Amino acid sequence: MAADPYATLGVKKDATQADIQKAYRRLAKKLHPDLNPGNKAAEDKFKELSAAYNLLNDPDKRARFDRGEIDASGSEQQPRQYYRDFADREGWSGYSNGAGFADFTDFAGSDDILSEIFGRSGRTTRRGRGADVRYHLELNFLDAVNGGKQSIVLPDGSTLEVNIPPGTSDGQILRLKGKGRRGAGDSPPGDALIEISVLPHPYFVRKGDDIHLDLPISLKEGVLGAKLKVPTVSGAVAVSVPKWSSSGRVLRIKGRGVPRADGGRGDQYVTLKLVLPKKPDPDLERFVSGWQPSDSPRQSMRV
Amino acid sequence: MQLQEFADRSHLDSSTIEAWMDAEWLVAHRPGHPFSEQDLARVRLIEDLKGDLGVNDEGVALVLYLLDQLYGLRCLLRDIQAMRITADDRTH
Repeated sequence: MAADPYATLGVKKDATQADIQKAYRRLAKKLHPDLNPGNKAAEDKFKELSAAYNLLNDPDKRARFDRGEIDASGSEQQPRQYYRDFADREGWSGYSNGAGFADFTDFAGSDDILSEIFGRSGRTTRRGRGADVRYHLELNFLDAVNGGKQSIVLPDGSTLEVNIPPGTSDGQILRLKGKGRRGAGDSPPGDALIEISVLPHPYFVRKGDDIHLDLPISLKEGVLGAKLKVPTVSGAVAVSVPKWSSSGRVLRIKGRGVPRADGGRGDQYVTLKLVLPKKPDPDLERFVSGWQPSDSPRQSMRV
Repeated sequence: MQLQEFADRSHLDSSTIEAWMDAEWLVAHRPGHPFSEQDLARVRLIEDLKGDLGVNDEGVALVLYLLDQLYGLRCLLRDIQAMRITADDRTH
């Protein structure tokens, strides 16, 4: 027994044809299975909606229904196979396109699972397209942060020039369009996928867009303060260490971190490390033995 | 299926099929069997869009383009989900 078509469309009995069409379009947008592939219930509801619309959109059928000559079941739809049944199966259909998300490849690199999947999707996009080829490239820390040109020597002896964008991170995959295997016939070649490893740096550590650095300072610099030269990924800068700085104090150097795609840069965080002279210094020992600290640095530990 | 069978089953004439292929709403795949059941279902979708839903030709092109992205993305998400499960199985 079919539902009341007026109720299905949510219109009154005296609705105009234009009202009925408007109501149908509003609902069909949300219920058409092909436009709502994630909505499992859409198919049954859309079937009901189409049946109701078929009946009421035809003034002749609508009049006969209103007079009680036919019932709503008369216009029920044949089962039909929807587009989503094909397009939404395993694997890419011939129509799928990645324009809305292919750029995720670049930062999917931090995740092996993602990069593998993006690699696969890319390969199957178009029939006959050449296969993607994977390479591995090891970069010095600063070359990765600052970017620049690098070349890879391929197994056949030729070289491939790779433009490393500033801010490239460990595990990232760079895609060089058309640098993979040749395609069949007129089909386009595949892409070269270059997986980047970044070597550690002796004193810079990268965390996201920021650079962290432990900076050794002398007792004198910590007590009296000083203006020091501090290395950053883009050259040394002068930094003021405030007087009375303990080990562990963190100074932030704004905009001296890793370049970002939007043109900005992360920051550099400098953690001070108070370091005593390498060799015991009798003068310092004599000086400190005459000094009586007024409080214990371990007060909060109650020992 | 061949063009003739596709035209019969889709109730489209060959000039419409050609026009839709020119517009890249439809793409013939393999040379021997250019059309599939999927293409037929796609024709039904295009007819729904142009007919009851009142979308004009420019709109159809846009809707199909975005839908193709949506289905690609769904495929990708399904892959990610499948691989996550596999990866979890491996670690347990």
